[in-house]
Amino acid sequence: MRLFRHVRRTAAVALALALTGTMTTACGSSAGSGGAVSLRFAWWGNADRAKATQAAVALFEKDNPGITVSTEYESYDAYFQKLATQVAGGDSPDLFQLDRATLGEYQQKGVLRALDPYLGTTLHTGSVPAILLSAGKIDGKQYAIPGGQTTQMLLYDKTLWERAGAAAPAAGWTWEQFAAAAEKVGKATGVPGSTDFGWAIDWFEVWLAEHGKHLYGANGTLGFTAADLSSFWGMTATIRAADGLSKPSATTKMDGSTANSALVTKQAASEINYDSNLTGYLASYSGGTLAAAPLPTDSASVSGLAAMPPVSFAVSQRSAHADAAVKLLDFLTNDPSAGALLGTTRGLPPNLSTRTSVCASATASAGDKAVCGYESTVSKLVGPSFGNWPTGAAAVKRDFQQIYDNVIFGKTSVSAAAAQLVSDAQQTLSQQ
Amino acid sequence: MTGSATLRQTDGRDIGPAPASKRDGRRSAVRSRAARRRGEGRAAWLLLTPWAAGALLLTLGPALVSLYLSFTDYNLFNPPHWVGLRNYTTMFTNDPRYWDAVRVTAQYVVLVVPIKLAAALGVALLLNRGRRGLGFYRSAFYAPSLLGASVAVALVWRALFSTGGTVDHLLSDIGVHTGGWIDQPQYAVYTLVLLGAWQFGAPMVIFLAGLKQIPADLYEAAAIDGAGRLRRLWSVTLPLLSPVLLFNLVLETIHAFQAFTGAFIVSGGRGGPGDSTLFYTLYLYQRGFTDFRMGYASAMAWVLLLVLGVLTLLLFATARRWVFYAGQERP
Repeated sequence: MRLFRHVRRTAAVALALALTGTMTTACGSSAGSGGAVSLRFAWWGNADRAKATQAAVALFEKDNPGITVSTEYESYDAYFQKLATQVAGGDSPDLFQLDRATLGEYQQKGVLRALDPYLGTTLHTGSVPAILLSAGKIDGKQYAIPGGQTTQMLLYDKTLWERAGAAAPAAGWTWEQFAAAAEKVGKATGVPGSTDFGWAIDWFEVWLAEHGKHLYGANGTLGFTAADLSSFWGMTATIRAADGLSKPSATTKMDGSTANSALVTKQAASEINYDSNLTGYLASYSGGTLAAAPLPTDSASVSGLAAMPPVSFAVSQRSAHADAAVKLLDFLTNDPSAGALLGTTRGLPPNLSTRTSVCASATASAGDKAVCGYESTVSKLVGPSFGNWPTGAAAVKRDFQQIYDNVIFGKTSVSAAAAQLVSDAQQTLSQQ
Repeated sequence: MTGSATLRQTDGRDIGPAPASKRDGRRSAVRSRAARRRGEGRAAWLLLTPWAAGALLLTLGPALVSLYLSFTDYNLFNPPHWVGLRNYTTMFTNDPRYWDAVRVTAQYVVLVVPIKLAAALGVALLLNRGRRGLGFYRSAFYAPSLLGASVAVALVWRALFSTGGTVDHLLSDIGVHTGGWIDQPQYAVYTLVLLGAWQFGAPMVIFLAGLKQIPADLYEAAAIDGAGRLRRLWSVTLPLLSPVLLFNLVLETIHAFQAFTGAFIVSGGRGGPGDSTLFYTLYLYQRGFTDFRMGYASAMAWVLLLVLGVLTLLLFATARRWVFYAGQERP
């Protein structure tokens, strides 16, 4: 009996000890996690952008000891497949990158947090040009903050163009002059003069603007006809047939990344892209000197260049740490040191004072210098954005490329393909 | 008697009724057998629970949900919206890319299954002779099957067959300028056939097991009768191997219809160039995870399931004509 009581007492003491132990540990851990906030930040882009962004994030973590940020980045297509799955599963990153084609779609799905309550208090946009901010506005509310400023460019291999004796691209040149130069380069060097630019709806948008039209009307309708598209794709077909544009096998791989670029893989001597990718091209190009030039235009008044954010940052509606996410967003937008680290990896810095200091910096990288240099030479040509894209624009953009594949591989005629794209696009837009 | 029931329940071996139940006479023996069976049933269910839970919750449940979704319009973000048979009618009547995908997949299956089975059988026949280092060869030929479904090998394939890749270089050196095969619609699918056929290890191992089962005396008898090597292959090996052949044929056909990884990686997820590698599963994936038309993707999945079911039935139906089971008259 005494033994039994002894055992019981020991057990009780042990139990009490165990309980207190658990409670102390419980207290300890809750105190720890109370202060620490962990954020997830995702974007797409080339390696140089990732390196710069991770450096800026590391600086943010150093300045804000309570916040840790885990970063994720992919190529464009993979990024959106992953993001959509995460968002649908309620596991969205807190801060993520969108573009013109996707912003409207994600806003409509109720995934984005309106940033107006933070504006002027924790999120400062005073130094960001209004022309860029307007790209992040939907129905009068600010859903996204521009990550930079970009414009279209023709990036060409100076060495090849000079060897072919082709006229250097210059402001105000026409598509006809471009075609003649590209064909000359193709015939003289064996490398087609330019990447077939019929693959991306973005370059069709430029051509449309020069002809007084828009991709999309004000209320999310289609702004062009099959005839417009036929003449655009007809133009690329003519230049392609004369060795001026890349072969279908190279064009089909285009996705805007430098890894799959026909210019970088030496299957074209020039390429149209946004100058936000310029640093990526310079980092991966070898065996020639690249130079950026304005796009050709058929119009006396429209240059074909427009200022727009290459990417925008949005905060998840469901983020548990929206305040911290906004803090990171503000840091990336306005902090001078962050701006210096990010440089021009998303085009010109969105913040004007950062932009001035990045472009004037004595230690600016070759890429930064190239972007600043190009933007300053074309600054008089750059007009306002061609307009925001409606929901469904991402699907239209994919369809555009897929149908163009059929054109270049000879599966359909230009006119049939143009008619199909218009009918597909109208259907897509009407379903939204 | 409880003892015997418990014993059987725990180790599952039939040890026969315990001596006690023998004395209890027939009725109690019957009762004990019934009880034993009940106990056994309970044990079986208990042991099956993890598997059953997985099958119901992770396979059957989602499959039924996808059947429901196939009659809806569902974009992941908003609740599904019932549209009846619209997904199915669109698919069959108003989606040219769907038929592109069907054509590409059929072409792939028709090519890859025979090539893969022939390679598997050929290598199995070679390895079936007792030679030194057999284990090594078996592993070496089996390795691609383990690696082949992986992303890494598909990436290697992409590097090998792209423009400026290894194969392009080697062919250019001997004066054949084809460019990268994966960048041209007329060749792209063949690189995937090659990738698929290269993974013949799994059917090969099954063929090897089948070959080991064929009694040596049949060959001896055939040899004494003067049958040559080919004659023995045709009249002894193939008939006796036909059940294994049927098994491999069914398995590989289903497998080929479900091919995805290679096409996804090699074409960068797009099924290009010009939709020439747009496998059915890849198009399904695009519809679901790029366009977010989950209803449409579900409908596609159910059509694939039905087609696979019908094809498997057809294969089994033809089996009566050519599959030979030992002890049977040859048809």
